[in-house]
Amino acid sequence: MRSPEREALAQRVLQRSPSDDTEVIVFDEDASLTRFTHNAIHQNVASSDVVVRVRAVTGGRTGVAATNDLGDDGIARVVARAVEIARLAPPDPEQAELVASPAAAPNPAAYVAATADTSADLRAALARRIFDAAEGSGLWAAGFVTTSRGGVTVANSRGTLQSFDGTESGVNVKQNGPTSSGFAEFYSTDVGALDGAAVGAVAAEKALRSADPVDVAPGEWTVVLEPPAFGELAAFLAEHFSAQSYDEGSSFFSGKRGERFAGENVTIVDDVRHALNPAMPFDYEGTPTQRVVLMEGGAARGLVTDDRWARKLGIDNTGHALPAPNAFGPFAGHLVIEPGTLTRDELVAATKRGLLISRLWYVRTVDQRQTIVTGMTRDGTFLIENGQVTRGVRNLRFNQSIVEALGSCTFARELVRTASYSYSMVVPAVRFERFTFSSTTQF
Amino acid sequence: MTFTALGRRALDTAAARGASYADVRFEDGRSERIEVRNGVVATLDDATSVGYGVRALVEGAWGFAASADLTEPGVDAAAARAVEIAVAGAAVARQRFGEAPSDVHVDRYVTPVERDPDAVPLGERVALLLDAEGLLHGDPRVSVGRAWLDLWRTEKEFYSTTGSQIAQSLCQTGSGISALAVDDSDAQDRSFPGDIGLYQSGGWEVVERAALRENAARVGSEAVQLLAAPQCPQGEFDIVLGGSQVSLQIHESCGHAAELDRVLGWEANFSGTSFLDPAELGTLRYGSDHVTIVVDNTLPGGLATVGYDDEGTKSIRSDIVRGGLLVGFEMSRDTARTIGRASNACVRAASWQYVPMIRMCNLNLVPGPHAFDALFDDIADGIYMESNRSWSIDDHRLNFQFGCQIGWEIKNGKRGRMVKNPTYAGVTPRFWGSCDAVADERSWVAWGTPNCGKGEPMQTGRTAQCASPARFRRVAVGIGYRA
Repeated sequence: MRSPEREALAQRVLQRSPSDDTEVIVFDEDASLTRFTHNAIHQNVASSDVVVRVRAVTGGRTGVAATNDLGDDGIARVVARAVEIARLAPPDPEQAELVASPAAAPNPAAYVAATADTSADLRAALARRIFDAAEGSGLWAAGFVTTSRGGVTVANSRGTLQSFDGTESGVNVKQNGPTSSGFAEFYSTDVGALDGAAVGAVAAEKALRSADPVDVAPGEWTVVLEPPAFGELAAFLAEHFSAQSYDEGSSFFSGKRGERFAGENVTIVDDVRHALNPAMPFDYEGTPTQRVVLMEGGAARGLVTDDRWARKLGIDNTGHALPAPNAFGPFAGHLVIEPGTLTRDELVAATKRGLLISRLWYVRTVDQRQTIVTGMTRDGTFLIENGQVTRGVRNLRFNQSIVEALGSCTFARELVRTASYSYSMVVPAVRFERFTFSSTTQF
Repeated sequence: MTFTALGRRALDTAAARGASYADVRFEDGRSERIEVRNGVVATLDDATSVGYGVRALVEGAWGFAASADLTEPGVDAAAARAVEIAVAGAAVARQRFGEAPSDVHVDRYVTPVERDPDAVPLGERVALLLDAEGLLHGDPRVSVGRAWLDLWRTEKEFYSTTGSQIAQSLCQTGSGISALAVDDSDAQDRSFPGDIGLYQSGGWEVVERAALRENAARVGSEAVQLLAAPQCPQGEFDIVLGGSQVSLQIHESCGHAAELDRVLGWEANFSGTSFLDPAELGTLRYGSDHVTIVVDNTLPGGLATVGYDDEGTKSIRSDIVRGGLLVGFEMSRDTARTIGRASNACVRAASWQYVPMIRMCNLNLVPGPHAFDALFDDIADGIYMESNRSWSIDDHRLNFQFGCQIGWEIKNGKRGRMVKNPTYAGVTPRFWGSCDAVADERSWVAWGTPNCGKGEPMQTGRTAQCASPARFRRVAVGIGYRA
């Protein structure tokens, strides 16, 4: 369902609502994923759905109901339920009237028709090229090829009407050998940019090169994190720049806005219009999403807001709302970390002794305020000696403050989009001068 | 048309297009969430979702297509899409993963419910949460109080080309509270019950069992006390883990490790593989003699309790670890066949949109003979920890590090002063090998995990790891913080 149909559906909902204020969000997605292991496809799935979410606001009372029954009766029921919940809900003194938002400038790079129309045969053909790369190296591949299209329309009774259509595609490959593994990924809005053979070959090279890994002692190391590894860490910074986290005291810079926490080379922005990661240019309240400088020259400056938190703190609404109302507050979901001047290879070459890390796993917060996280390396961890990658090492567990690591770091100049189920961002490779490992594992 | 008629049509379409086997699963789901945050109802959602997923098998390759289009042409299109996807996979197949099942079930299952949640007025539900959340704020340093409630009802109908027709009416409920206390230099969380609340199969009685009002003042007070508590010491200590933390320990280091799809490499690129090997069934020492872990999807109150799994296999109880020895896995039909066994009904899909996959379901540590307090008796210098705060384990499920919200020193068999930021780390079989006491059924709780992530596309599953507190000897404590 493209924008015009979603907008017509949203208007049907608004026309039925007797509430003082009504907001409707229409979500539409058709997503496919071809998953493989041992050089064969074992899960091959597609799913489509359209969901209508109605928020009714009357006298500070809010009710929300959602349905995927788009028939007249279904729409009537979901509106009635939202209104009924609003009638029964206690009033919220901070709930303001809904507002009319200006139209967001479109973000046409986010939609590629060829991606929306991808066949199961094309996904299988991309997978086969990955299998070929694996078999040519005596390895087995596990991973996926995914393509999807989706759209969101946000409309409210004050006149807000925003629509967005986007596509996504990606290849994710882990190549496996008897004693090692290697990882590579590639994401684009354009399925034509996917190259199964190339991504499969990068992962295979890592697997082969890290065969028969040796133990290294845990402790403090200089590390070079490739973009997928850095992305896993950086994702844990996003929530700290929420106005809610900042105000309630759970952000690393709560009460210290403007102070410097990281090196002068560290600049982080949230940008839905970055060429490598074009995304929805408005939020789930229909507010156009601004580019926000979160950290500049190492100083924590920016906060992302939604309607509630902008009013509460008396600052601009930056357009980073999740579907309202919610307990999570606004969210910076499109981080971009500004690059440096050296190539990734030059970062390695300038490292006398360190570790090159391809990917991290199961990163979790140990201490929120100190930004200490723990996690494991995986799928390609290497020793760097005198500027050369010399051999694979067994995986290690780290315990590290992210902000502290950013205090002494160097970024590569190549920017890469990296993604997982919970984030999508643009980052360079990075060298951290000090990174603390607490233990090793058996592989 | 009814689901029965639509289901028949989907199966006929899939068969006509070349599927050697097909099944279709209809779900009509309703989820309600209420969350109170700092005195305000921050979430009051009621969502319904109806749809179906068709699985089609062609030359040993599976295709899956899900749709919410409940018209005849919509069902035809979804069934055709499932076959088309299977054919595309078969064309590049290096091996066959699927085989048609032969078992047939015609049955109906209904979750036992003592008090229908629909009979509890919305005002009463909201009032409970407002009261409990308010009681968290006994001290102004409680910056964020939260109280929440989830109700999930699902009507499922499953039909297969072998003739199975299974209807299930499921009800799952959960609730909890948490407090975040903040001062100039620290922030400390405390939640109850456990770290995510109490989630079980059943109705409003599950919320009453959680006793949120009765515990809220204590929970808020403990969060504040943690701000001034000393840091948990570092070193090797005997530890006692509270029941919800044992539940998390089972989930991460046994539940995921014993999923046979992971063991076979089917999850390798994302959530990883496993250190367990089918060749070691009956011989691998996973833990001490005190450790017996069973999967039991018939358990009354278990969050994953159903009559049949999402492949149409009847729920049973089976052993995974018996007296410390590895004796079984959590299995689907296709994975079980690779080791010459039958499925133990551990297959679930998060909703109709998703393909069914192996889940740990209800995976329970069998209670021991000890009273809870007796676990402390012969500990000279140890730590008692409660309620998870941080959890991380490697992609073979060996090297783990977990943190808890709160701890207490144990000195000469007695619980002593509170400590903050307790963490512990270990290697799975060594850690379970150090377990020398499990508390008895009086402190055994059917702890549910409503947010287990697995698979691609990611599915959020509802599992349970029922457990009582347990004691572990000589464990590395205090990792993650500088000495």
